[in-house]
Amino acid sequence: MRAEPSKSSDGDLLRALARGDQTALAGIYDRYRLILFGLVMRILHDRTEAEDVLQETFLQVWRRAGDFDEARGRAFTWLVTIARSRALDRLRASASRGRVASEAARLPHDEVGDAAEDAVRSEQGKVVREALAELPSEQRRALFLAYFEGLTQTEIAARLGDPLGTVKTRMRSGMIKLRELLHDKLGNSM
Amino acid sequence: MDLMDEHQQNQESLALHALDALDATEARLLEAHLATCAECRAALAEWRDATGLLAHAATPKAPSDELRARILAAARSETRAPETSARVVPMPIAPRRSNLWPNVLRIAAAVAIVGLVIGVIVMWRRDELARREIVRITREKTRAENLLALEREARAKERDAIAMLNSRDTKKMELAGTPTAQNARGTFVFDPKTGHGMLMTEGLPATPADKQYEVWFIPKGHTPMPGKMFTVDKSGRAMVSGEIPLEARLNLVIAITLEPKKGSAVPTSAIYLSSPSS
Repeated sequence: MRAEPSKSSDGDLLRALARGDQTALAGIYDRYRLILFGLVMRILHDRTEAEDVLQETFLQVWRRAGDFDEARGRAFTWLVTIARSRALDRLRASASRGRVASEAARLPHDEVGDAAEDAVRSEQGKVVREALAELPSEQRRALFLAYFEGLTQTEIAARLGDPLGTVKTRMRSGMIKLRELLHDKLGNSM
Repeated sequence: MDLMDEHQQNQESLALHALDALDATEARLLEAHLATCAECRAALAEWRDATGLLAHAATPKAPSDELRARILAAARSETRAPETSARVVPMPIAPRRSNLWPNVLRIAAAVAIVGLVIGVIVMWRRDELARREIVRITREKTRAENLLALEREARAKERDAIAMLNSRDTKKMELAGTPTAQNARGTFVFDPKTGHGMLMTEGLPATPADKQYEVWFIPKGHTPMPGKMFTVDKSGRAMVSGEIPLEARLNLVIAITLEPKKGSAVPTSAIYLSSPSS
C-alpha cells in the first residue's frame, strides 16, 4: 500500500515511511527540501556541508519515522527539529575547528526577506516572515541567535552586551508573538 | 504576585527551552520537572511548534538535483523488509506448452507452482514478522533510553541537592506539620545569595487527583507569593527545587497548602507545613 505523495498529509507520509514506503520518502523530500535546505544553509553557510546535513536529516527521518507521534506535535516541527539540531551539531564541530563561525559572523543575520525570493516561498512562510518583520529588531535578533546559531541565553547576552534579564524578556516576547501567530493566523492544521 | 505571574514564569522557561536557549542547569531543572508534569510537557510541545516556524525566516534554497537520488539510493540500501522482499522474489512463470504434457507432469508442475506461491507467502510473512520484531525492539530501545534519561535527571537532581547541602552558604530550615498534617515534616535548604532552594517533605497526606501542594513564600509585611506546585509519593515524600523570589529572601517564611491543580493566586486551604514564623 502506497501513499499518494502529493495529496497525503504529512502524518500520512510519515506513517507510510515508517512502513518502509520509499515513495513517501521522496514525497516528504520534495515537499520540504527547499525550506529545510534553506534552514541548514542559513546555519552552516556552506553548500557541501549543508547537503551532507540534509542527507543525514532525511536518512534519520527514514529510519526513525516510526518514532514520530502526531499527538505530540506537528510533523513540520519534527522535521525542522531534526534538520536544525543536525546542522547545529555540524556548526559546533566546525566552529571548534574555527572555520564556519567567523564566516557566519560576517554575514548579515537580521535580514528577514528578499523580495526576489519571496515568489518561491510558501504562504505559511510569508505569514511568519511578516510577523517576524513586525517584531522589534532586538527581539528578532535574540531569537535568531538562539535558533540559527544555537546560542544559549547567557551567550546571547554576552554577544549583544545586554543584561541577561533583558535578553530573556525579549526572547519570551518574541516567542509569544510566534505562538499567537500559530493559533490566530495559521490554525493548528498545518 | 498572583497566579498569572507564576504561570508566566513557568512559560518563560518553557519558551526558552523550546529554543534550546536555557543554560545547562536551568534546562536540567526544567527537564526534571517535565518528567513529572504532563501539563508542562504539552505546553512545551506547543512552544516547539511555534519555534519550528522560525525555520521560515531562512530563505528557502534548492539543494542540487543529485542529492535527491543520493538520499533515495542511500535509503534503499538500508534494508527495509516489506518493499525489498516484494521486489526480490520473482513470480513463477508457468510454461505455455502444458497441454502437450502427460497429466502427471501437469500435476507435478501445478504442485511446484503452489509450492512456490506458498514459499513466497511464507517468506513474505517471515519478513513481515522480522520487520515487526525490529519495530518492537526499536520501540523498546526508545523506551529504555527514555527511562535512562529520567534516571539521569533524578541523579542530577540528587547531585544538586548534595551540592547544596554541602555548600557553606546554604541555610537550612526545618518545617513542622500543622494540626492539619501532624505527621508531616519538611526541610528547606536554600542559598540566600542565589535564591536557589530545595524542599524535601515527608509524611504529607496523599495528593488528591484534582489537587497539588503549593509552596508559598511569605515576605515580611507582604501577601504570600506562590512557588512551585508538587505532588507527593506514598510516604508523603517530595523533593522540589526552585527559585525564591527576591522579595522573600530576607527573613524567609514558607508554608505549604493544598490547592487546585492549576495553582492558586492566594492560599485557599489550611496550612499543612510551615517554617517557624519569626
